[in-house]
Amino acid sequence: MSPSLNPLRTKFPSPLKSPSLYNLCNSRNLHIRLHLQIRCNQGSTQQKPNPKKKIVLFGAAPSVLEQKDRQVNSGDGGTTSSSTPSMWRFVKRVPKRALTLLANLPLAIAEMGAIAAFMALATIVEQGESLEFYTSKYSEENPVLGFFTWKWIVYPGFDHMFTSPIFLGLLVLLGASLMACTYTTQLPLVKVSRRWSFLQSSETIRKQEFSDSLPCASVQDLGAILMGHGYEVFLKGPSLYAFKGLASRFAPIGVHLAMILIMAGSTLSAAGSFKGSITVPQGLNFVVGDVLAPIGFLSNPLDSFNTEVHVNRFFMDYYETGEVSQFYSDISLLNFEGKEVMRKTIRVNDPLRYGGITIYQTDWGISALQISKNGEGPFNLAVAPLQRSGDFKLFGTFLPTGESDSSGKVKGISMLARDLQSIVLYDEEGKFAGVRRPSSKLPIEINGTKIVIEDAIGSTGLDLKADPGVPIVYTGFGALMLTTTISLLSHSQVWAIQDGSTVVVGAKRNRGKIEFSKEMNVLLNKVPELVSTNDAIDS
Amino acid sequence: MIFSILEHILTHISFSVVSIVLTIYFLTLLVNLDEIIGFFDSSDKGIVITFFGITGLLFTRWIYSGHFPLSNLYESLIFLSWAFSIIHMVSYFNKKQKNHLNAITAPSAIFIQGFATSGLLNKMPQSAILVPALQSQWLMMHVSMMILGYGALLCGSLLSIALLVITFRKVGSTFLKKNMKKKILLNELFSFDVLYYINERNSILLQQNINFSFSRNYYRYQLIEQLDYWSFRIISLGFIFLTVGILSGAVWANETWGSYWNWDPKETWAFITWTIFAIYLHIKTNRNVRGINSAIVASIGFLLIWICYFGVNLLGIGLHSYGSFTSN
Repeated sequence: MSPSLNPLRTKFPSPLKSPSLYNLCNSRNLHIRLHLQIRCNQGSTQQKPNPKKKIVLFGAAPSVLEQKDRQVNSGDGGTTSSSTPSMWRFVKRVPKRALTLLANLPLAIAEMGAIAAFMALATIVEQGESLEFYTSKYSEENPVLGFFTWKWIVYPGFDHMFTSPIFLGLLVLLGASLMACTYTTQLPLVKVSRRWSFLQSSETIRKQEFSDSLPCASVQDLGAILMGHGYEVFLKGPSLYAFKGLASRFAPIGVHLAMILIMAGSTLSAAGSFKGSITVPQGLNFVVGDVLAPIGFLSNPLDSFNTEVHVNRFFMDYYETGEVSQFYSDISLLNFEGKEVMRKTIRVNDPLRYGGITIYQTDWGISALQISKNGEGPFNLAVAPLQRSGDFKLFGTFLPTGESDSSGKVKGISMLARDLQSIVLYDEEGKFAGVRRPSSKLPIEINGTKIVIEDAIGSTGLDLKADPGVPIVYTGFGALMLTTTISLLSHSQVWAIQDGSTVVVGAKRNRGKIEFSKEMNVLLNKVPELVSTNDAIDS
Repeated sequence: MIFSILEHILTHISFSVVSIVLTIYFLTLLVNLDEIIGFFDSSDKGIVITFFGITGLLFTRWIYSGHFPLSNLYESLIFLSWAFSIIHMVSYFNKKQKNHLNAITAPSAIFIQGFATSGLLNKMPQSAILVPALQSQWLMMHVSMMILGYGALLCGSLLSIALLVITFRKVGSTFLKKNMKKKILLNELFSFDVLYYINERNSILLQQNINFSFSRNYYRYQLIEQLDYWSFRIISLGFIFLTVGILSGAVWANETWGSYWNWDPKETWAFITWTIFAIYLHIKTNRNVRGINSAIVASIGFLLIWICYFGVNLLGIGLHSYGSFTSN
């Protein structure tokens, strides 16, 4: 039967009988017949259709899943038998119904869309501000868009969107949907794809996406050609099944599993990690456990929290234009007994890892200026930050040089520094006096006071973190990257049956369908045509 | 000094070649130039020249500034136009047939590059130094993957927008006519359905049997199917790049600041874009749903990519402030 559409005999709705199309069809002698089969699946959960007969190849090991499948089939039959009490059956059915409800695709799409919308809202509305901010900005007198007052933001928790119950609840729901979908849809796919399913009739083969028939050909030739093209071919009597690229069939499962892994890992991070930051002047120590504070309720302190961190040296690199290029801290770790266990120079993208703790270099400052005044000293002057906007910093200090004037203000020399390279000095009136580099040790004379800048002592800003979820999350990341790449490959399947002297071929592919038909055409053209019919009947 | 002159020359070469290629394409729309096959070849070569031009430009900046050329908005825009020219070339290597993708990538490349060099971003073309946080090997991988992903996704979503325009243009114009023609409209829509259904079942035999009696609808339908198919393929590719980019960004953030996700505006919008295209791919897996829905989702994705790439930078806050307009 060749598909043909006959406008008079089709079950298709009436517009086909409309004048314009009808005339067109008839006038050009076009005959296309369509056979439709509508099948209802109501209540068929009770009854499974007869499973396809599995064919065991001669001389090959039986499919590994055969045993398990038989058990599964009988097990399924068991749950629907009337021997189990009805209450137990009901209880068992509820989670199954919940599963199918969760694994619904439109629901998942709706969840993803809702999460995306809430995230977008969170970038528009400022997060983490005080209540007064919201009441003043989104006041009730002139609400945004006519109705959006601060109540809409504060009550549902949108001011801290990413920790609010609504958002977290949606994430949990999405996670549950992911798990349900993996369980109900994807894992059974593994069973199906590992089964070598031969199609028995040429009818079913012709219904494939791509189908063709080769007169005067033999199935073995087709098998040989497919093998030459990289397919795995299975031949039993007159029927053939071949596939290529099995990996991409499993790739979506891998993607969902990787996402579940990432969600689990980040939940662990959110519930069980330690965080802390500290600014340490060069030369001082601190104990790790003093700095780290637990984040969630699952946080367990580690043994390595006893270590003491000693900042040996803090130094910076500069570009020729004077901007900061990189800042480094030379750090030693001393254990409980005081012995040095590790020493490393860390910089911004290169943290120190020890016993589950990681120390990151994130910031820097100037803690003190060491000067000698009129030959006396050295004195340490504490330095305070004056302005901090992003990467641009300014620090200053003050050296009093005399008596206070009438208004009670003390006069002195001010020193400003942008980084550890050079210090700018201003005299008592605030006029610019000079610039000195700490390494040069050149004196500067300001109104009778001789100042030598010995050293600029920096302080390093360190962030410490102990996060148990990171390995899991990294594994999830790697798996996700790998499986999304694999899912781009294609998985093709070919069925064929020897029907007398013709071979009926059907094929299917999950990606790249347009090139697939061309490729199959090329492949089928290679099948040799048999001249005498006697050769075709061999098996 | 030499490097900046070289840079200038290369910019001008690539820009002018792309304009020539674009002119050729527009000419082919107006005049049937199929006989002059040489024209198509020359547009191929034109894109190859553009590609080499932009590559040279990026290389020059790399050598001159000492860091990978992806540190501010200008450089990322040049990289984006480079990504478009690559996509354009890849389609030539894979297929022999004429590809609709070319109509999208060439104009996009030229627009992006024009915008970048136009002077709206005045201080950007000079190479700037890298702040300490950006001095990492991860910079190359994260940003280049993101830009490649943006380029591919932009192409795919533009194709979907084209699909929507073509589908609804006919419907729109027919709706404007009187109601008496409603029956014919329904006929056309349904014949659409018939073709769609037939094509799904048996594409090879269809192409042999159908005489072009449904000629207008058939060609339009073929075009739409091609657009749909190509947009699916290129969005899948872009999705992979986007995934790798987001994940490598997360790992980089963990190496630098100790937390792999900070709900930074740019990160959040990249995640939103990823979610929208995941929705697109999931809609595509369900064969019962028509192609229109996925095209609508992909068109929304187009807007989201621009918000993610440009819109967030206008705010100039957060971890990604390096790309803002106000940064110098």
